[in-house]
Amino acid sequence: MRRRSFLVAALLFAAPFGAPQTISDDLGTPCPLPARTPERIVSMAPNVTEILFALGLNGRVAGVTRFCDWPPEARALPKIGGLVDPNIEIMRSLDPDLVIAFRGNPLRLVERARKLGLPVFVLDIGEGLDALVPLIERVGRITRTEARAAELARGLRGRLEAVDAARRGILSRPKVFVLLYGQGLWTCGGASYVNDLIARAGGINIAAAMPKKWVLYKRERIIKDDPDIVIILARSAADFSAGRDRFTKLAGMGSVKAVRTGRIYELDENAASRFGPRLIDVLERMASLLHPEPAGGRK
Amino acid sequence: MSRRTGRTLFLAVSLFFCLAGFLISLLTGPVRTGPGDLLRLLQEPDPVLSAIFIDLRLSRAVLAFLVGAALALSGAILQGYFRNPMADPFVVGVSSGASLGAVLATALGFEAAAVGFSGPGLLAFLSGLGLVSLVYALSLRRGGFKVETLLLTGIAAGSLASALTSFFLFMRSDSYDQAVFWLLGSFQLAEWSQAATIAPWLVLCLAVSAWLARDMDLLALGDETAQALGSPVRRVRKIFLAMSALLAALAVAVSGIIGFVGLVVPHWVRLLIGPGHRALFLSSALVGGTFLLYCDLLARNLLPAELPIGVITAAAGAPFFLYLLHKKR
Repeated sequence: MRRRSFLVAALLFAAPFGAPQTISDDLGTPCPLPARTPERIVSMAPNVTEILFALGLNGRVAGVTRFCDWPPEARALPKIGGLVDPNIEIMRSLDPDLVIAFRGNPLRLVERARKLGLPVFVLDIGEGLDALVPLIERVGRITRTEARAAELARGLRGRLEAVDAARRGILSRPKVFVLLYGQGLWTCGGASYVNDLIARAGGINIAAAMPKKWVLYKRERIIKDDPDIVIILARSAADFSAGRDRFTKLAGMGSVKAVRTGRIYELDENAASRFGPRLIDVLERMASLLHPEPAGGRK
Repeated sequence: MSRRTGRTLFLAVSLFFCLAGFLISLLTGPVRTGPGDLLRLLQEPDPVLSAIFIDLRLSRAVLAFLVGAALALSGAILQGYFRNPMADPFVVGVSSGASLGAVLATALGFEAAAVGFSGPGLLAFLSGLGLVSLVYALSLRRGGFKVETLLLTGIAAGSLASALTSFFLFMRSDSYDQAVFWLLGSFQLAEWSQAATIAPWLVLCLAVSAWLARDMDLLALGDETAQALGSPVRRVRKIFLAMSALLAALAVAVSGIIGFVGLVVPHWVRLLIGPGHRALFLSSALVGGTFLLYCDLLARNLLPAELPIGVITAAAGAPFFLYLLHKKR
């Protein structure tokens, strides 16, 4: 009893003068929690850049990757290199007070940057759509923009709930085939968050049984699965129409329902491939493509 | 020009290029810097400049130099050992064997360090030594080597080791950058601790090989003759083979497979200063280090994104290899 009260007293006294708070990153490395919002943040991934801008940290981003093209003003920022080949020398020269890495950045490089004294915070929470809002809140925590992050999270959660509510009113779940524009019939398997997007929007991904993120699908299987809708992830309208023409002209595709009914739609590959706030835009667009009938008062 | 002045001149020119290489390495990089920044750093400490110049550029240049020296010395030893100017740690399969060991150690989580060696470094040495011994045993015919047999055995065994390396790398699906590192080499992640690991071993091997250089000269006359002239042939052979594997393994453990350095450098040196092994070993190390320093400069400055250094050394070395094959005919 006495011991406990001593402990309480110690905590009470220690708290204001104690060591700075620490927060563990997703690899379990403890990082000191900055006392106030960092001034020079280096983002090592495009989705991190988008989240930083969404949190209003525009003026505080010191460096981004060469793939960071959204929002457009990110393009003017100094480039540290790519996702797998960022240049440590450039990163060091920017003298950042926070570096945010994401899965896809090589671990050895992250460790090397740390040894050089760079304050690297690694983000690697789940793959599913459910991990998106917690990810944004986590970026908010490490950049000390918790209030802004909470507001953003509330908005995104509200939009997710609206999609969920509309889905409950649907009569049928269309079968969807997602095609990544380019060579071969690449589609998203069950481990991809695009699979989550389809399910959440009220559809069935025909490749959901494939336990991978991206898989090369067989033409016969598309014909057999007979999707109601084909969605092409494309960078531009030109890519989309080229992809659509190529797909519909493949031998045997004439029998597929989506081709017969002309339900082949475009989705912005750039937004859909970034695990950031724009994913909710993609989800809403997907839901309106899958269920154009005004169910549950959707726009 | 006497032989002695020729050697002095050669040494002076090599040293000049070596120092110039270090200076250029310090001053070039993705961040624009000039001699003024370097002088400023010497006058007053600056954390950013010091990180760029000392922790990134200088450590990288020193490591590239040490690895180049190790590979060239390993090549010079192997060429004497096999009495064959085509031998090289890459061609004979030591490098591929060593990288298999290193990748295997990483895959098995065998990362502990012992006697200044990391787990991958130790396994790299053992598997490099194992592979070169295998190639040696397979290509030995009645006490002699046929060039073609040696090269083909080395290439076949090396390819097998590379295939296994790729297999282990791709089992772990997240490791594209790791695959490029182990199979084509890079100094991108160089740091001082790596240089400190290989430097003492390199110095030791240089000293021992200079000390036993006379015996290597005798080996060129054939094992029986060398034995008759009083050289402990079997022991000398064992020591040299172990050193060549050790040097190649050290190089591979810190920078992945970098081919052809051990092939071309001893050749150039032999052309310029003659076949005596003591001078050949020491000069090969100096020239090899300098050569790799310049190759790394190209690897990091040629394109906006970094090239694997193995691409540069192969581009410089493979044509030379072909030329040697052609000349032999």
